[in-house]
Amino acid sequence: MINPLKKIGAQFLDWADTVGGLVVMMGRVFANAAPWKLDGPQVWRSLYRIGVNSFPIVVVTALLTGAIMVIQAGMFIQKYGAYGLLGWGAGYSILREVGPILIGLMFSGRVGANTTAELGTMKITDQVDALRALAIDPVRYLVVPRVISMVFMLLVLVIIGDFAALFGGAITGQLLLGVDWKLFVWSIIEYIKLEDFTHGLWKALVFGYSIGIISCYFGMRTSGGAMGVGRAVNASVVGSAIAIFVFDYFITYAMH
Amino acid sequence: MAAKTTQNPSVEVDEESPGAVQNFLAGLGGPIVALYATLRDMVRILGLTFYYIINGKWGARRRRDILLQMYEVGNRSIVFIAVTLGFLGMILIFQAGFQANRITGDLSLLGALFLQLLLREFAPTITAMMLATRVGTGMAAQLGSMVVTEQVDALRMSGAQPVDYLVVPRFVAALIMMVVLTVFAIIVSFIAGAITANAFYGVNPRTFVDFRMLTWFDLWIGLAKAVAYGIAVPITACQAGLSVVGGSEGVGLATTNAVVNASLAVIVLDFLISGIGYAILSIL
Repeated sequence: MINPLKKIGAQFLDWADTVGGLVVMMGRVFANAAPWKLDGPQVWRSLYRIGVNSFPIVVVTALLTGAIMVIQAGMFIQKYGAYGLLGWGAGYSILREVGPILIGLMFSGRVGANTTAELGTMKITDQVDALRALAIDPVRYLVVPRVISMVFMLLVLVIIGDFAALFGGAITGQLLLGVDWKLFVWSIIEYIKLEDFTHGLWKALVFGYSIGIISCYFGMRTSGGAMGVGRAVNASVVGSAIAIFVFDYFITYAMH
Repeated sequence: MAAKTTQNPSVEVDEESPGAVQNFLAGLGGPIVALYATLRDMVRILGLTFYYIINGKWGARRRRDILLQMYEVGNRSIVFIAVTLGFLGMILIFQAGFQANRITGDLSLLGALFLQLLLREFAPTITAMMLATRVGTGMAAQLGSMVVTEQVDALRMSGAQPVDYLVVPRFVAALIMMVVLTVFAIIVSFIAGAITANAFYGVNPRTFVDFRMLTWFDLWIGLAKAVAYGIAVPITACQAGLSVVGGSEGVGLATTNAVVNASLAVIVLDFLISGIGYAILSIL
């Protein structure tokens, strides 16, 4: 009788500890994010490593995502013969939902896992303590540049990825479904509104921020050697994925 | 520009530093060579896994390993899959219902079309991506730390095959659990969608739960995707884990590679299977 209660209680306390730690991390990042407190070279370096190095994989993902959504929409379109709606159907779902989610998941997998592994390795090799011994705030030196880079770069990557996905969709429509790409582009321009595009961009901002905070939190809290780094990366990507879906729902609900 | 050779420092060899064209070709060729090496390694591990499934030692210990891995992959991901796919179902129904209301005002086919899309596309793919993140990092981290602490070398020295001993249980467990979790994901997502449709758009659950538009084709495509992902995710994760070099930093790098490779494999397989399915459908 006691055992299930003990397990549920322990789980809840563990979860509450994580949520509390994340909020504390958000507060510390916010306190250190004032422009005069930013470490220029670190931010620049993070922007390069996070953005430029993720560019190829995001573009490939986006091209394939566009192709997949066009194939799925195509099956319905062919049944009803509504070829003029292919651009709208695929474009609407890509810009609003599938684009930010899949690019966010790929970004969290690549950049989030990498950041947690990097910060986790620094933590267990005592480099973070060495920073503290030199009177440098680890959050200000390590975390803030990464969070800022992730927010900015995910936004840019989602913009690029949206266009890549629409491009991939147009090509797939032409080659596989026989829908002329001019019709596809016309359909997008005619039916898709700017607010569909910006809806996805708001999601990208929130996803970038949450991936940044979660990955840096689990990285700075690593303990226990190489296995600890693996555990931290696992927790970080799981947390980022949950955060992406939960925030996607709330943003969708709030912006209607 | 002249440079000194390392064999005989007193002799000067005429050597040009790489020009722009050579740098460009190197930049293009380097990733391709690395990609080829990774793919070759993956195919090798896949082949070895199939070989050891047929030819390996099957006994009580293998069954116990597989059951342990099935618990690790399946049972411990249930809450995670339920949460993510529940929210996905809510999001999709919210968006689809909003658009349907605006354009046609007819919501009677919402449940049927949603179930079809779920079965064909979203449930297998999103479940596989979630498992790629959760299980992929776990497997890569475990195997990576075993490589770094030289346990894999110890296995080889004792005459056990690392692929046979480590990869095969994870492969079988992930394959079975991917299919099981996909079915679970479809159920959870559909129920979440039904609740959302009822709460926001007043769609009667009886109208929503509609199997009219499902065909055998949808079931086969969903099953094919689940099986393909169930093969791809553990192989990419184990390949990333077994190719670790360099201590705990290497383990971190391996987990990143595992997630990226597994997610990319899922998306590429999704595109291929959807394309093939579409081609088959238009031929039939």
